[in-house]
Amino acid sequence: MSTPKAPPGTFTLLYFAAATSYTRRQHDHLDAPLPVAALYDVLEKRYPGIRAKVLSSSALTVNLDYVDVDEEGARGEAGMVIKEGDEVAVIPPVSSG
Amino acid sequence: MADPKQAPHAFAGEQSLSEDSLYVSLTYDELDAAKAMARVKSPKAGAIVLFAGCTRDTFQSKTVTHLAYTTYVPLALRSLLAIAREVQQKHGLVGISITHRLGRVDIGEESIVIAVSAPHRKAGWAAGEECLEGVKARVEIWKEEWFEDGGVWRSNRDGGVGVPVVVGGTHEEDVGAAGLG
Repeated sequence: MSTPKAPPGTFTLLYFAAATSYTRRQHDHLDAPLPVAALYDVLEKRYPGIRAKVLSSSALTVNLDYVDVDEEGARGEAGMVIKEGDEVAVIPPVSSG
Repeated sequence: MADPKQAPHAFAGEQSLSEDSLYVSLTYDELDAAKAMARVKSPKAGAIVLFAGCTRDTFQSKTVTHLAYTTYVPLALRSLLAIAREVQQKHGLVGISITHRLGRVDIGEESIVIAVSAPHRKAGWAAGEECLEGVKARVEIWKEEWFEDGGVWRSNRDGGVGVPVVVGGTHEEDVGAAGLG
């Protein structure tokens, strides 16, 4: 179940819960570098409908820190860029307990 | 893997983080309340409050067959420890232990055990409740609720009927039989 290391020039995107169900995958390796602001467009192209069904209600982490996707988009050129080897994750609404 | 019908486990035993008198962990094994209590026992603590969250057999009067939990291990452990630290500081606790179970959890079994120890009982009661609510709101763990006709992802935030569970290219019905059933 452990995720294979990202091949050179890529980062790892992890899916959980509803994101796994929608993509039918546990993870993808996507080309790096990629601005955070562009990530959801890349995913929408790959998995049509995922933005409305999953991403709009999910959070995003980069290397275990939460990132505000809208805020990064608003920063334009200065927005955060996902780098080679980074671990990014789509975090759907949680349901422990 | 002993049982081919069981979904694969990401690890064996327990994954944990600890700091001073705080202990948080994740495990696919059955939870042990006595162990959690022993972890927080101290001559400085006049009260230990123990909470066990169990799997209920219905959701909005629909029969639940079992639950299955998945997680993002390093992030969930980090969030659990942050909650434990916040609650300990706020209520002046002696110790906290939080363990959440992963994988399949059958009806009547525990999915979470929290033990807090405090000098006096009042702080212990309050801290135990706050700790659980913090975990439910924030920790990156996801519950699949399985009914006789398939599974849904639950969301603590909206509390409504969840999104159907589909795993790894397998059709939903197949998952119940071959994946998680």
